[in-house]
Amino acid sequence: MNWRLSRMLAWRDWRSGELGLLMLALVVAVASVTAISLFVDRLQQAMLNESADFLAADRYVGSSRELPPSFRDLAQARNVQAVDTLLFPSMVFAGEELNQLVSVKAVSPGYPLRGRLRVATQPFGVGVVTQALPELGEVWLDSRLFPALGVALGDTIEVGLAKLTISNVITSEPDRGGGMFDWGPRLLMRMADVPATEVVQPGSRLTYRLLLRGDDDDLEALKEDFDLQPGQSWVGIKESSPSIGSALARAERFLLLGGLLAVLLAGLAVVLAAARYARRHYDHVAVLKTLGTGPNAILASYVGVLLLVAAVAIAVGLIVGFGLHWLILLALQELMPIELPPPGVRPLVLGSITGLICTMAFALPAFIHLRNVSPMNVIRRDLGATPPSRYLSYSMAAAGVIALLLWYTQDVLLTLWALGGTSLTLVIFGALGLLLLRGTRVLGTQAGSLWRFALASLQRRHRENLVQMLVIGLAIMLILILVLLRTALLSEWQQQIPEGAPNHFVMNLQPEQVPELQAQLDAAQLPFDEAFAMVRGRVVEVNGLSAKEHRAAQGEQDRPGANIGSERNLTWTATLPQGNSLVSGQWWAEASAASEVSLEEEYAREAGVSLGDELRFDIGGRQLTARVTSLRRLDWESMRPNFFIIFSPGALESFPVTYMTSFHLPVDQKRFLNGLLTSFPTVTVIEVDALIARIQSIISRVTQAVELVLYLVLVAGCLVLVASIQASRDARMHEHALLRALGGTRALVAGTLAIEFAALGMLAGTIGAIGAEVTVALLQTQAFDLPARAHPWVWLLGPLLGAVLIAGVGMISTRSLISTPPMLVLRGLS
Amino acid sequence: MTQATPNDATQPTVVQASNVSKVVSTSEGELRILAGIDLEINAGESLALVGASGSGKTTLLGILAGLDEPTSGVVRLGPYELTALDEEQRAKARGELVGFVFQTFQLLESLTALENVMLPSELRGSRDAREQAVELLARVGLEHRHGHYPRQLSGGEQQRVAVARAFAAQPKVLFADEPTGNLDTATGSKIVDLIFSLNQEFATTLVLVTHDERLAARCDRSVTIAFGEISQ
Ligand SMILES: Nc1ncnc2c1ncn2[C@@H]1O[C@H](COP(=O)(O)OP(=O)(O)O)[C@@H](O)[C@H]1O
Ligand SMILES: [Mg+2]
Repeated sequence: MNWRLSRMLAWRDWRSGELGLLMLALVVAVASVTAISLFVDRLQQAMLNESADFLAADRYVGSSRELPPSFRDLAQARNVQAVDTLLFPSMVFAGEELNQLVSVKAVSPGYPLRGRLRVATQPFGVGVVTQALPELGEVWLDSRLFPALGVALGDTIEVGLAKLTISNVITSEPDRGGGMFDWGPRLLMRMADVPATEVVQPGSRLTYRLLLRGDDDDLEALKEDFDLQPGQSWVGIKESSPSIGSALARAERFLLLGGLLAVLLAGLAVVLAAARYARRHYDHVAVLKTLGTGPNAILASYVGVLLLVAAVAIAVGLIVGFGLHWLILLALQELMPIELPPPGVRPLVLGSITGLICTMAFALPAFIHLRNVSPMNVIRRDLGATPPSRYLSYSMAAAGVIALLLWYTQDVLLTLWALGGTSLTLVIFGALGLLLLRGTRVLGTQAGSLWRFALASLQRRHRENLVQMLVIGLAIMLILILVLLRTALLSEWQQQIPEGAPNHFVMNLQPEQVPELQAQLDAAQLPFDEAFAMVRGRVVEVNGLSAKEHRAAQGEQDRPGANIGSERNLTWTATLPQGNSLVSGQWWAEASAASEVSLEEEYAREAGVSLGDELRFDIGGRQLTARVTSLRRLDWESMRPNFFIIFSPGALESFPVTYMTSFHLPVDQKRFLNGLLTSFPTVTVIEVDALIARIQSIISRVTQAVELVLYLVLVAGCLVLVASIQASRDARMHEHALLRALGGTRALVAGTLAIEFAALGMLAGTIGAIGAEVTVALLQTQAFDLPARAHPWVWLLGPLLGAVLIAGVGMISTRSLISTPPMLVLRGLS
Repeated sequence: MTQATPNDATQPTVVQASNVSKVVSTSEGELRILAGIDLEINAGESLALVGASGSGKTTLLGILAGLDEPTSGVVRLGPYELTALDEEQRAKARGELVGFVFQTFQLLESLTALENVMLPSELRGSRDAREQAVELLARVGLEHRHGHYPRQLSGGEQQRVAVARAFAAQPKVLFADEPTGNLDTATGSKIVDLIFSLNQEFATTLVLVTHDERLAARCDRSVTIAFGEISQ
């Protein structure tokens, strides 16, 4: 490689500003990828950390029986922190007559592994973060328990046989409400004090958990080590909060897609800038060739120039990207008070490789092209270069796009969709664009001189204009796609937790308490859901095989099929509950007397149970057999009570049953709970309002990130506009210099340009709007699992955006063209 | 024979064309631009190619200088048989033997006058490119315009830079295609004076395309092209 010549050429071109746009486009590509992936990387970690707070751990193993001590050793061997918790309902006594059912959480030191405990100095006070835990012999109580039990800090209460001192007011703990059966007012105590209470007897309702914290890989390996038994469940953020899991997954996809669009747009700008650079260098190369430089030396030195440019652009892009991500973090500081983990090197590698791919796929072909410029160009300007290298450019650009798409989405199907869609779009819009351009000429002949000249000039260079229109149309399309997806995602997230969604669940209701409770809710004008009967039970046999044998028969140990034997809430209804839809089988007839059962589709799949199978249940020691007659799909994000297993009416009638219902309680009416718990001392209330608030805060953070990506894509899109207008600048320049030399005023030239640009933009915008609408419909149904719908405003916005943007950017970047004396333009001064 | 090997270094003929023809295909079918051209140019000679516009002078010049390939026939330049070489080897031959002055100057826009003149020596990796270029610029009377870009120079000045650049390569043969075509008469004749005096000084062979009879008369020999053929 002729580095000396390359350096010389690069330096001189740089000095004359010829490489500026190419460099800028590469910088934008590298910077946007770097900034987005740095930000996403850190945000993702932060969101995962925050999500982990719901569990107070990264994962946990849950069971209704004590977990084997070997688990702790295994965790230690894997370098995973482990802490025990135990949840159980218990009656506590204060003095002679005051008592209250509470939800006891006993924890061992180290709890919580994620998130923070908050305590207040007095009941109903403001919570502050604490690192401490109750001392041995002490308990911390929920504010609500102080009036209910008539106690104050320092008093003693009885939990079972143990007398414990109240030492603090607990306002929140990270994993409250993380599970559906962590109910009621909280009492926090130490695990070591539990034996003394003697409340833990066989048959009591217990939830043992082993909280775990460690690296993902270690945790996954640990899961294998544990070899979980029926009744033991492995829980991560996805299992515990499906709505957060899917919000995160979608946000991730969106951000990556956005990053990809920014890169593709910047890539488009690179193509245009490189082509323009090469075109401007035809003469240059021809002269060098007459001076004895051979094609290979030309190739080597121009590739050298490109590599120098790429190296500088990547370095600058990384720095800019890093700075940009800091700026974003600064701007979002108030909204995101979370401490972000330090960034890794992955985003920087990602940025560099993206820069290289952009250089190789988008800029290199134009540079390779230069090799074939004939030295006769010096004498005859119209020779250009040989056409075969065009195929090279197209195939290399296509290869680059495919590589980037595959790499970013890691999804062959999505890549094929995007590619097929884009190609089809280009073909259809090429034809459409030609038609539109023809149409403008017809229009132009009817118009005044300014318009006529502008539209004629559009038509005259119709080939270049068509290309330019497609390029700009593509840019507008990509921008619109992002705007549409963003709107769809945001509104879908908002709908996910609608105003007035139930945020309190009442459980353990005795059948006769149901109408009384409903009357009270009615009186307080609180909206509530229907009541569901509930029986606890688990599957012990499938088609005559024990749960364990069944799992073995399924063959795949690592599948979540392990959940088949764990204890579940069973219910029955006559009709399909709200938010459920039948997938296969048939819902039972009203009068059916047979024991039928309906399973949630995913649960059935994971458990390896299908329609027609016979399930044997163990309910409090008694057994019951039922046949699977239907499979249902649930809306998991609805925040309503959902059941994996529903029986036909009558099947569970003879079993002891409790009811559950849910209602919405506004924050300012929180005290209503006191009255409720006084009238129904035995019921348990699960408060999920805090959980909902958390989900909303995560969603708002994701929204910020989504917005950021949008801006980056906009910047890249504008760059494409500038590049494509620059590309046509040389041709326009001569034309307009001529026009001015012939006596055209500045106003005439400016007006002509403005109309020409606006018309071009409007046509491109129309193309972009159509493309965006189709693509978004496909993306929503194929990639995001959202329903497709039409967006009429896009049809207005697209052309308008196109006209305003192109006219604006066009006028700015050709400003010098208008104000330069025509003589200089003719002599080649630009 | 595809190698760029000298065949006879003592031959006094530097440029030789035998039975050269050029046919291009256009949208209206085949167009014969040159037909059966035989031409020998001796070392140190100055030759004028004259003829009407469109007669094929530029095409012939391009072929003789190795910028373009003939459809048939053989072209020799110095020790090389150009028609047996590929573009890579022709480029090497051009760099070694040939200098150009064009009607449209063809200076590199992004380089200053001095850098334009330095270019040929730089491309060869010569160390004293700068001193030589400074000298040549002084020789063409532009010693004060080193740092100026082509667009800051008048046409005549640009052509003087181009002449300086052509001689910077110390060529054996200088090809000039209507070097005064874009200049006024007075400026043009100054350029011609410059070319001829440098030509003497460097003992270069000169091939000059022109339709100016007076300019042709200053050359040792004159060849007229009409309809792609040499007409005596
Ligand atoms: N590559 C080409 N394609 C088509 N026609 C050409 C090409 N090169 C030259 N010609 C034509 O050949 C004729 C001779 O051109 P040229 O050599 O430039 O003539 P001159 O220099 O004598 O004016 C002209 O009519 C020109 O249009
Ligand atoms: Mg000519």
